Formats: sequence, C-alpha cells, structure tokens
Amino acid sequence: MSSESLLVRKIDWGTVLDHIPAWKADQVIKLLNLESLKQDPDVSVIVLHNVPSKKLGRKDIVKLYHYMVSEDEAKILALVLPQITINYIRDWKVKKHSPGLPERIVGKIRCPETSCITNVEREPATPRYIVMKEHGVIACEYCDTLLEIERIPDFLVD
Amino acid sequence: MPSSLSGGREVGAPLGLKNTLAGRDIISCKDLSREDAELVFRLAEGVNSGTIHLEDTLAGRRVALIFVEPSTRTFQSFYVAARSLGAEVLSIHDPAVSSIAKGETLYDTVKMIEGYGVDCIVLRHPARGSARFVAETTSVPVINAGSGSQEHPTQALLDVFTIKSRLGRVDGAKIGMLGDLRYSRTIPSLCYLLANYNGVEIFFMAPPLLQVRREVELYLSERGVTYRKAMAADEIKEVMPDLDVLYVTRIQKERFPDPTEYERVRGSYVVDAKLLSYGRRDLGIMHPLPRVDELSPEVDKLPNAWYFEQARNGLPIRKALLHLVLGGAG
Repeated sequence: MSSESLLVRKIDWGTVLDHIPAWKADQVIKLLNLESLKQDPDVSVIVLHNVPSKKLGRKDIVKLYHYMVSEDEAKILALVLPQITINYIRDWKVKKHSPGLPERIVGKIRCPETSCITNVEREPATPRYIVMKEHGVIACEYCDTLLEIERIPDFLVD
Repeated sequence: MPSSLSGGREVGAPLGLKNTLAGRDIISCKDLSREDAELVFRLAEGVNSGTIHLEDTLAGRRVALIFVEPSTRTFQSFYVAARSLGAEVLSIHDPAVSSIAKGETLYDTVKMIEGYGVDCIVLRHPARGSARFVAETTSVPVINAGSGSQEHPTQALLDVFTIKSRLGRVDGAKIGMLGDLRYSRTIPSLCYLLANYNGVEIFFMAPPLLQVRREVELYLSERGVTYRKAMAADEIKEVMPDLDVLYVTRIQKERFPDPTEYERVRGSYVVDAKLLSYGRRDLGIMHPLPRVDELSPEVDKLPNAWYFEQARNGLPIRKALLHLVLGGAG
C-alpha cells in the first residue's frame, strides 16, 4: 500500500490530479473553474501536500471527488504544470488523460503589464491570451504583452 | 456601418478603388495590409495635391473624439479633419472637466457617447489595450489614436506616408529608430506597418533599458523583417552611414515606473549636427513630436529635417482615414 493510500482512500468517481510539484496544489485550484466546482454540493476536494514520489521526490495531489475536469481546464493545467498527470476515475476504473494545449486562455491569469486595460479598476475587461507554445509565451489579446509560460503561476488570479 | 455615405455628399470614386477600410476598426497596424495603407496614402496624396476634395463628404455624420490623455497634434488634426469633411464633432479633450474626473469608467463613457448616435469613435487612452476593449464595447468603428505605450496606428500611417513621399519608395528602406523604443507607442505601429513592405531593414538604436519590446521583435521575426539592435554609442555611429531615415523618439518621463531610471537615461541619445555627420548627406530625420532635448534645434534648418512635414501629413492622412472608415468611396 502506497503512502498516499494510507493518507486518503481511493475515490470511485472523479478526477485525480497527480504529479503536481510539491506545495503547488494551490495553483491547480486557481486554474480550475471554481464556480462550477462550488455549485455542485456533492463535490469534495482533497488536497495532499508534500507526498513522497518516485518521479518528483515530493509532490502534491488533488483529488476531485464527483468532479470531472473539463477539457478546457485540463488543457490549461497541462500548459502551466507540464508534469501533471490527469486521471479520470469512473467506477474505480482509472483512465489517464493527455490533453492537448489550449489555443486561448480566458480569465484565470492577470496581465503582467500593469497599464493593460484588464488591470484598470472597474473596467469590465476580462484578460484573454493567445498561447504561443512555440515561443514559450502567452500574449495578451488586449495589450500584446508576452508572458513566459513558466511565469504564469505568479500571475494567477486569486 | 453603412457601406456608403448616407448623410453626406457623394464625391464619386476619387480613385476608383475598392474601399477595404469601410466600417473597420483601426486598432493595430498588424491589422492593416499594404493595400489598406496604400489606399489611405493615395487618397492623402490627392488631398495634398488638391486633386481630391473630400469636403462635406461626412456631412450629417458624427465623430466622437475621446482623448483621456494629453494630445496636441493628434487631437487637433483629427478635429480639423473631421470638421473639414463636414462631420459634427463631439469631444472629450480635458478629462479633468468630464465625468472621467469623477471616476467614470471608459466603458460607461463609451456607452454614453454611443447613445448620442455617433458614427465613429476616435480614442486616446493611457491604458494599453484600451482601443481593442472599446472596439469590443461598441458597434461603431473605433480608431486608435494612441493606446498607452502600445500603439499609435494613425501616426504610423503618416510616418510611412512621409517616408514614401520623400524617398519615393518604402521597399528596401533602411530605417534607424533611436531613443525610447520601449515606451514609445509610435515604434511598434511603425514596425508593424513597415513589415508589409519588401526588404525593409530596421536598426533599433537605444540603451538596453529602452530597447524595443519583445512582442515587436517576435512579430518582425515572424514576418521575415531584418532588424538589428545597436546599443552602444559606437555601434550607432557604425550604423549611421547605412540609413535612409533616422526616426527619433522622445524619452517619455511619464512612461517610467521609477523616476530615477528616467533621470539616468535622459539626454543619453541626442541627435545633433555632430551625429548627423556620420550619416549620408540625404539622410532624413523624423520625429513624432513633441521633442524635449533628444533632437537639437540646430537640425531644424538642415534639409535632413523631415519632421515638420511629417507632422503636417497628419491632416491629409486623418482626413483620408476618416473618409474611408466612414464608408466613403475609395
């Protein structure tokens, strides 16, 4: 029995997000569609921090009981945390999911350019980005500012 | 948007060309093709030479000028252009005496102006992305008259028009851009528009702190435009003999997050007769103006000084653009 299963029992239905770098589970939560998560009273979120891992040394795990991560959510998670493993669980059966990359990202990320219209208080402008994976950046569709993909976690909206 | 002038006097087709700009937003030079720019230039040439008359073609139309940032040339030339084309002009020029001073959002200001039945909004705003945001907010065409440090497409149109008028070509032009390339809104727009021409070479001449932004470099690379960065004073002297045009920009104090950074670099790139002595005799000097101390007045009397003509070209270019965006014949 693994140390993880000693801590939290397996789930029969939902999504397990594995191989999250240690202490980065909060980034995963920010990248999920929280409104959709909160609306379902049957959903439980189990967060494991700093679990031993053969692959990473230490890792975080997020178990979403009774919640299937959408394709859009999966694509953003895979972009921002490329090590992540996404497992869908249906009737105890585990199916690993390998999402493609998103072409665009809406919301979730604050534009790093402080003078961008999306950072102006009270203006109803939702940040929107084009993903330029070949250049390792995302580009703000409003102000053109580039943000390196590895810096996205620093700009996640709370 | 109507495809033809509904309220004004039809002037026929001054050039007999298809109007590719009718009803379009002019937000970024990335959205303008060479054909779009050439259409504006040909109309502006006709206006300049007196062979094309656009007076009263916008009679019965209403143009809103929303300027939430200081402006002299751009505001005045848009105002005169719109009025001379016969349009009624609604303007917010001094935010201090409008509801913006009371904290009204740009969104609300635009919604309010739109409700007055305007046919076009010309916007200057300090926020990057403001013009695209407004274009998404309103159904009428939006012309970006300066979106913070992001872009200034109508300036680029008059800049390239000036280069074309003076050099007789844009293809193959070697253009040096000197000064504050990072916070200048004219530089990205000029680069994006020049990318439509063949064989253009750009030399970015600035200290590392003020070098051109990465998104501009990325765009030029993707469009196959040759560019080089010269950062040291010696490198600049070395580049000077190759140039057809030297485009100088003001070091803008208001763009610096830290005033001590501004004090450190101001005055470090000054264009004077001495620097010009390294360039060709027919090197053209351009500047979007206003200048502070980066362009010496001693250059004004030299034939190399193109910048006052450049500023004058703002009027025919903006007349042509308003005429076309509002559906006038091409």
